[in-house]
Amino acid sequence: MNFADILRLCVQNLFRRKSRTILTVLGVIVGCCSIVLMVSFGQGINEQNERSLKAMGDLSIVTAYTSGGGYGMAMASGGSSSSGGSGSVKLDDKAIESFRSIAGVEGVTPVKNLQYTATAKAGAGGRYIDDGVQIMGIDMSQLDAMGLKLTEGDKPVNEKQILAGEHVVYGFMDSLRNGAMRSYADGSCTYSEATGQCVPTEGEDPYFNLLTTPITLVTGANYQGDPYVQNLYSGGAAGMAGGASGAGASGADGQSQNVTLDFTVTGVLKGDYNKGYATTDGFVMDLKVMQSLLKKIDPSSAAKSMTYDQALVKVADLSQVPVVESQLKAMGYETSSYEDLRKSMEEGTRVIQLILGGIGAVSLLVAAIGIANTMVMSVSERTREIGIMKALGCYVRDIRVMFLTEAGAIGFFGGVIGAALSAFVSLGINVGGMWLSSMSSSSSDGSGSGGGASFGTMVWQAIVGGEDVTRYSVIPWWLYLFAILFATCVGLLFGFGPANKAVKIPALDAIKNEQ
Amino acid sequence: MPPSHPMIEVRHLRKEYPTADETVVALEDVNLAIPRGQICCIYGESGSGKSTLLNQLAGMEKPTRGGVRIGGVVVSALDENELAAFRQRHLGFVFQSYNLLPNLNAVENVAMPLMFRGVPKDRREAAARGILKRVGLGKRLTHYPTQMSGGQQQRVGIARAFVARPEVVFADEPTGNLDSKTKVDVMEMICSFARDLNQTIVLVTHDDNMAQYADRIVTLLDGRVVDDRLTGN
Repeated sequence: MNFADILRLCVQNLFRRKSRTILTVLGVIVGCCSIVLMVSFGQGINEQNERSLKAMGDLSIVTAYTSGGGYGMAMASGGSSSSGGSGSVKLDDKAIESFRSIAGVEGVTPVKNLQYTATAKAGAGGRYIDDGVQIMGIDMSQLDAMGLKLTEGDKPVNEKQILAGEHVVYGFMDSLRNGAMRSYADGSCTYSEATGQCVPTEGEDPYFNLLTTPITLVTGANYQGDPYVQNLYSGGAAGMAGGASGAGASGADGQSQNVTLDFTVTGVLKGDYNKGYATTDGFVMDLKVMQSLLKKIDPSSAAKSMTYDQALVKVADLSQVPVVESQLKAMGYETSSYEDLRKSMEEGTRVIQLILGGIGAVSLLVAAIGIANTMVMSVSERTREIGIMKALGCYVRDIRVMFLTEAGAIGFFGGVIGAALSAFVSLGINVGGMWLSSMSSSSSDGSGSGGGASFGTMVWQAIVGGEDVTRYSVIPWWLYLFAILFATCVGLLFGFGPANKAVKIPALDAIKNEQ
Repeated sequence: MPPSHPMIEVRHLRKEYPTADETVVALEDVNLAIPRGQICCIYGESGSGKSTLLNQLAGMEKPTRGGVRIGGVVVSALDENELAAFRQRHLGFVFQSYNLLPNLNAVENVAMPLMFRGVPKDRREAAARGILKRVGLGKRLTHYPTQMSGGQQQRVGIARAFVARPEVVFADEPTGNLDSKTKVDVMEMICSFARDLNQTIVLVTHDDNMAQYADRIVTLLDGRVVDDRLTGN
């Protein structure tokens, strides 16, 4: 028998008992839907986790440092693990080179932070002051390889040029306005008594344009910070304006050893805490510039060979992070990355997914029993027909294939419709969630001002996701495939028993003259 | 197969049905040789063992002892798959209760044996239409069994038995459910097909009148052949 003929017979048989077929398929649809949706909620949690991790920084960065060395980078919550090794290893150029040779490493930059207090000044007479600013030295040639991006401007090319952190411009206070600062929109909001809503903080323009304003850096071995700022915080309110304008010349302690350098900012970095705070709230310069700066502050340091505070290792693929990390540890360095955190979050989600999937699986099991029931009924109804077919020379394998195909078709169509239905339900859940959140955030700005996204964009975002879209239910493409395949397999599996029962029906039953 | 051999050969066939307290012997020692082209009627009252003999001939059941050869092939020794292939190629069936598949129309029912053989749809349905026209159902090709009378259904059944041009056709009380006029039509139809293609027919009946259409009447009683005579047709 051709498979086309078997298929044709199957379709005829399924349509013969239309309502029974539809009800059985309905059972599979519900089962398939529940399993897909349950898993999709787990995926939604996963997506949220990934995003919150990404917000913390680049996940593919491993920080290597020596156990005795300055661990300058503050990890938000990433796990740091000690290799328990001796402090004999050094983080120098040789070490950096060896890091570069590790398989899967895309880029390595040593990091040298300025260990002295520094103040950045800008504007006429140093009007704008950022006290205690972070200065980080990195290998500028590795900027792209490290995945550091510029939001504005270009890379520095000479020793007078530096990069600014994303929000460093907001770190400047205006010494003529009693130290007032401007703020940027950081996504936070303040509760408003009047409306009962949380009003998002609105961003202000910074005092000046970093790219066009020269920056003066003041630092030194004994430098304690800008006197104006110190006065401001120590409560000395008198002589503000005078103190500020005379800041550069006022006789503070150790002023004679202070180093003052002028820079121009050529670009603004996209902040990433995992690559150092300076990318957000400080200045980043090339290592050579840092080296000459250090020499000016402490000429004796020039004699010593350069060792770095830490090294940032960019791994090409996220899955390679644990491998690279363990290799770095084997070399005697301490490492830290988001890997441990990511792993534990992922494991937590997996447990939730398993539980949710299990709940879904129960309903698919019920549907599977429905399929088995339908097939058993179908076989016993068609005992006579099967006997006739056998008497007329139908192969046993064809009969088995016929019944399996019927059961598989019920599973398959249930799976396809179930997958399509869960796509709609998932879309509805996401759009509904977005609509609710846009309702609560946009209702504050008056009636019908059109706050929030339009329905169309909401639907689009619910499907593809986005940077700041919260999706409760995420269905990856493989889940559809899995659901359809799974439902079909369940159909085949539970159709197997009845199909075997069918082939055992003797041809003799057809010959018997019963009417 | 050499013509000197009989088409169907039954040797020392015995069939017992063991029950709880005793063993029922349905066929004692049956010996029979049916040559090619003969229309052989197996005649007997109910319980005489004639249906059991037919089942044995068609390979529906395994014998207790002895065996059946059809065209030199020992039917009782074939396994399930070989038997299916053998039935496709060499056997046709006409049943008392027609046994048409209710969800297939006349053409599809007739084409069924060819479908099992894997003949493509257009070719097998062309053959089915041709033979249906010959049995006088040219206007009912797409009718379903429930839309036809008993006589029409049996004609579809006959068309189905002969469409694959089998060497042997078994007919089990083919007229049992029909009125007397239709009975004659059906019997004449079976016989005319058989004569045209020199096919061997094994006809099982308890109806005297129908038995008269055969070339030979084998009478069974209590599982034994008690009479075997040619009719002179």
